[in-house]
Amino acid sequence: MAEQHTASDCKQRASQGAGGSVSGNGRPNTAAGCGGGGGGLSGGLTQPAGWQSLLSFTILFLAWLAGFSSRLFAVIRFESIIHEFDPWFNYRSTHHLSTNGFYEFLNWFDERAWYPLGRIVGGTVYPGLMVTAGLIHYLLNLLNVTVHIRDVCVFLAPIFSGLTAISTFLLTRELWNQGAGLLAACFIAIVPGYISRSVAGSFDNEGIAIFALQFTYYLWVKSVKTGSVFWTIGCCLSYFYMVSAWGGYVFIINLIPLHVFVLLLMQRYSRRLYIAYSTFYIVGLVLSMQIPFVGFQPIRTSEHMAAAGVFALLQAYAFLQYLKDRLTKQEFQTLFFLGVSLAAGVVFLTVIYLTYTGETAATMATQHHSLAQHMPSLYFSPLPLINPIKPVILNLDTERLFDPVLSAFAVYFAGVMVRLMLTLTPVVCMLSAIAFSSVFEHYLGDDMKRENPPAEDSSDEDDKRNSGNLYDKAGKVRKHVSEQDRPEEGLGPNIKSIVTMLMLMLLMMFAVHCTWVTSNAYSSPSVVLASYNHDGSRNILDDFREAYYWLRQNTDEHARVMSWWDYGYQIAGMANRTTLVDNNTWNNSHIALVGKAMSSNESAAYEIMKSLDVDYVLIIFGGVIGYSGDDINKFLWMVRIAEGEHPKDIRESDYFTPQGEFRVDKAGSPTLLNCLMYKMSYYRFGEMQLDFRTPPGFDRTRNAEIGNKDIRLKHLEEAFTSEHWLVRIYRVKKQENRQALDHKLRNVAAKQKYTSKKVCISCLIIVVIFKYRFFFFFSIGYQMFMQ
Amino acid sequence: LWRATQPSMCFWLLRAAAADGLVNEEVKRTVDLSTHLAKISAEILLANQGGSPVQSFTLALEPELGPHLAYVGASVKGEEEEDESLELKETAVHGRSGTFFQVQLPSALAAGGKLRVKVETVLTHVLRPFPSHITQAERQLVVFQGNHYLYSPYPTRSQSTRVRLASKTVESYTKLGNPSKNDEVIEYGPFKDVAPFSQDTMKIHYENNAPFLTISSITRTIEVSHWGNIAVEETIDLRHTGAYLKGPFSRYDYQRQSDSGISSVKSFKTILPASAQDVYYRDEIGNISTSHLQVLEDSVEVEVRPRFPLFGGWKTHYIIGYNLPSYEYLYTLGDQYALKMRLIDHVYDDQVIDHMTVKVILPEGARNVHLDTPYVIDRSPDQLHYTYLDTFGRPVLVATKNNLVEQHIQDMVVHYTFNKILMLQEPLLVVGAFYILFFTVIIYVRLDFSITKDPAAEVRMKVASITEQVLTLVNKRLGLYRQMDEVVNRYKQSRDTGALNSGRKTLEAEHRTLTNDIAALQARLKAEGSDLAEKVGEIQKLDGQVKELVNQSCQESERLVAGKVKKETYITSEKTLAGKRQELISRIDSLLDAL
Repeated sequence: MAEQHTASDCKQRASQGAGGSVSGNGRPNTAAGCGGGGGGLSGGLTQPAGWQSLLSFTILFLAWLAGFSSRLFAVIRFESIIHEFDPWFNYRSTHHLSTNGFYEFLNWFDERAWYPLGRIVGGTVYPGLMVTAGLIHYLLNLLNVTVHIRDVCVFLAPIFSGLTAISTFLLTRELWNQGAGLLAACFIAIVPGYISRSVAGSFDNEGIAIFALQFTYYLWVKSVKTGSVFWTIGCCLSYFYMVSAWGGYVFIINLIPLHVFVLLLMQRYSRRLYIAYSTFYIVGLVLSMQIPFVGFQPIRTSEHMAAAGVFALLQAYAFLQYLKDRLTKQEFQTLFFLGVSLAAGVVFLTVIYLTYTGETAATMATQHHSLAQHMPSLYFSPLPLINPIKPVILNLDTERLFDPVLSAFAVYFAGVMVRLMLTLTPVVCMLSAIAFSSVFEHYLGDDMKRENPPAEDSSDEDDKRNSGNLYDKAGKVRKHVSEQDRPEEGLGPNIKSIVTMLMLMLLMMFAVHCTWVTSNAYSSPSVVLASYNHDGSRNILDDFREAYYWLRQNTDEHARVMSWWDYGYQIAGMANRTTLVDNNTWNNSHIALVGKAMSSNESAAYEIMKSLDVDYVLIIFGGVIGYSGDDINKFLWMVRIAEGEHPKDIRESDYFTPQGEFRVDKAGSPTLLNCLMYKMSYYRFGEMQLDFRTPPGFDRTRNAEIGNKDIRLKHLEEAFTSEHWLVRIYRVKKQENRQALDHKLRNVAAKQKYTSKKVCISCLIIVVIFKYRFFFFFSIGYQMFMQ
Repeated sequence: LWRATQPSMCFWLLRAAAADGLVNEEVKRTVDLSTHLAKISAEILLANQGGSPVQSFTLALEPELGPHLAYVGASVKGEEEEDESLELKETAVHGRSGTFFQVQLPSALAAGGKLRVKVETVLTHVLRPFPSHITQAERQLVVFQGNHYLYSPYPTRSQSTRVRLASKTVESYTKLGNPSKNDEVIEYGPFKDVAPFSQDTMKIHYENNAPFLTISSITRTIEVSHWGNIAVEETIDLRHTGAYLKGPFSRYDYQRQSDSGISSVKSFKTILPASAQDVYYRDEIGNISTSHLQVLEDSVEVEVRPRFPLFGGWKTHYIIGYNLPSYEYLYTLGDQYALKMRLIDHVYDDQVIDHMTVKVILPEGARNVHLDTPYVIDRSPDQLHYTYLDTFGRPVLVATKNNLVEQHIQDMVVHYTFNKILMLQEPLLVVGAFYILFFTVIIYVRLDFSITKDPAAEVRMKVASITEQVLTLVNKRLGLYRQMDEVVNRYKQSRDTGALNSGRKTLEAEHRTLTNDIAALQARLKAEGSDLAEKVGEIQKLDGQVKELVNQSCQESERLVAGKVKKETYITSEKTLAGKRQELISRIDSLLDAL
């Protein structure tokens, strides 16, 4: 163990030396040999350094290529299209940005969302994604590369996955060594946990945020190592980019203080650390506050307080160190108690805030609610592979400490919320890369050593190998070998080759598994569905786009479409029509109102729709083709959310049978069978016989014959139904021109009563509902994507 | 061509027409109302009853129908099969309203002579849906309002009109002269001795479920590349201009009943050129996955199915594009180029285009552009288009025209000159860009851009590079010993002293140069003030010992071969030598590692 320690020390020195020169020459840094670090200026291919940089360049390039191409399944199988829900909003904003310019985008008030409230988009988004895509588009067009903004958006995440691989390489190299870095880059390029959020078409914040995350970590480690303001400012800029890109920046602003804190606890305080953290905290804070959506949060909310606490602690610590130098022992001791009590107080506060962040992580879960959570939780993690690394981790350097801190933190967050699994993925990749790398060093390196002495058993073959071995002598492998030679004397060559083979097998299976998962679980746009016939031919069900495009072309430009919030972004993006609620679920009472309209009977719903100026109602109905993610399956949630706001009008129990079942057939509750959602879903479905074995009106999703076959609509009429009935759009009939005066008066009175009711039932239990909804959608989303 | 000529000139023409004494001897009109167009063709037997030969005659169109006129053409019906089409010029007739064309005859019609002329007219948007709003279950009824007689500046001796309808179902029709109705055909006439410019409203109200599709606007972009490709892209706004759909659209009825929504349009066929490749069909939100492509012998047929069926009043928008090989359409002679392509292509049968824009994007550097069109078309000012690898922009010809029908599918010719040397511009641009990129990288890597000078680091780098060289050389030297061993082994088998000596000599020479090199490097290291020089010195010392051992083993083997020593003794001494050597080498290795 001690030898390993010196070895790593040695290496660290080398890379530090190289680090000093890296600003002068930008080539990939080689951690070759202790004395011969840096490789020399004349490093051509005859030099080991030249080979090494060529090799790492090639591997990184291939990792980028592999990462890029394994994300293209959806594009090849379907087309270059934006996926799912949130990406449609991002695409729409990017489109707005690229057509109207940056300032117009920042000031954008979107009157097409949350009718009649609207949404201030510029101030409620993390603009990093849109600005990145818009900038790329702008630059390409400046160079007369006429790429459509959609293609930029579709391919942004795969391209950034390459950058993520490179920054992971850099980070792992800083933490461990070049070999582990390359392995980590290869892992992160294809690991499904990350691919799930970055396939082509998945134009979402995480696609670029993981790159920013890794790069910030890298620069942080670099700045702690060097204590140079240059690297720290770089780290701050990268952090700024991260803040602008994703709400997950909170992860960084808690992790880095934690790292500093642990270092302080372990008596690893140094001037470098002081410079790095003080600069990072102040500049990073100021920069992060420049994002309109973040605003003053970094100095107000609890999840940022850990950083402030550690900052204060560090100042106090540094001050004590300063005093220690200046004062006599006697004086210092009197001051010490004062200082310690002060520091203890700060630490105490920090700890309190740290525990607080555990709470806030849960609230963060409610703030971010794209359907990402509903992705199948097939997150493959090579976590078991970490085991061999455990002994290695025991010897910790200042920056190496970063790794366990990072992993512990990531595991904690991933435990709090499934979605934050994403932040765990790179950590796992790095750890397993380090594990693999050290295992290979252990087992492969020895073979080389073993082959070297028998060089005397002269043979032509050996000569060749010898020439190959020439550069190994300078390399670190060789050095390790001679040091590790003794303890490994007991390992026979057979065990070594078996272990190596096993490891290679494992890696190969990992690659196969990743590709399989990517291709099967994450490569569906979910806007376009595909089904396969018995002969293997493919049917494309394009109902969503059919209906959305119908809305776009054949309704009034200012028509207002009511639908459940899941489809808000898609309607805005594809149909370009005004929606009442969308995936940015910021106003619960508004959602509850839509839920109430859906779950009331037709005439009550008509009143609500009239008050909301609804022209069209859009629902998703999967009964014809057996699509399980439709509105009837989500319906209980509409009821629950409506009940939360309007407990007098809507009661969840009304929608169940006396036995407590939710059924759509004859045994279903009459309230359900007459509510608007039911009527709209099954309008004229009772006449439809799908095949000869089932009665007319047989719902394939719920495997039941519907209970109410004679549905008549009074205030609505069918405006459009897509080919497979997946999307049904109803037109809200305008009121007839009436003369009767008394009726009119009554109407007004009813309206007043209604509004007063609305006022008195205020939004008291929003949080409860949000939490509820999140878990519910996870389950139905799971079904939806699995089918 | 149809531009109104000078009034005086016009007046002169009119007088000539009035004085020429032409008479429509016999007129056979056919009004085809089976589609959403009104195609009126008339076979006229012209007789010159005046005293002088006539060079031209005048065609007339009713003032009500004038704005709907999309196409008019006249041809002389020859004895042979082929018709000779005649040149038309728009003109005006004094004191009369309507649209008039002067038709130039191929040869003067002598006094008393007769000539059979065929006139073809296509009118758009003249069939008015009535009722204007229908439900999904109803059938579409339309009204046509026309003229029973041929509208002509000349008197007509005898005339008959045959109207072809889309279906048997006719609500009502005007009954002038007791017409006979037979299935889809109504025959009027014959009417005798009709005065010039006589009009009598013919009104037919009948069922017509033909697709009432109208392209409200189309932008056809033709991008010519001299690298062998012509890219064509058509952006189309399509609208169903039949009776509006009233009330709900029921998918159930539409799927289950064959006559539900009978006037709606589910799909249509677009015929593309036979060499069309990479056809795409999409809109703002992606591919339209409901289309089919069929490659036939002489054409490529695309079954264009909009995302949703088009009912009355519904519209859609799509983009269809394809690539064509340029050798079929681009002709060249030296620097002269001519692009001969269809100005407008087929979109669907009996197409109506309300507004068309054609853009021809020529390669960068095309000059003296000249456009020849088969009919009059409005040229807009040229534009510039920038795309991949462009520097000063490609010239774009823009032309627009309203109200087009199938008869307008004709070739246009774009002439331009292009200096072939400009073909090199794009590859050179790419080469230049890469050159600059690599050059920058080279500069960046080779030169030191740091603002502070760090002599220690510099020395370290120098020392590192020297050590690197030392390492290589030492390794090479160790390799020499192995070669030596080999030589000795071979010698033991072959007992060829000459080979041994020569091998030893060459190896020794190499060894000497290597040792000298290392010594030189050692000196340099010393000059840099590095303590590594001592270590290198130590290596040199150790190496000398190794050398010694190698020589010893060599001599031993010589003695063995000469029979001076016994085999066993040789083996033991060889073993000790090898052991010593191994020890020395491992010491050298450890020193190397320390470097």
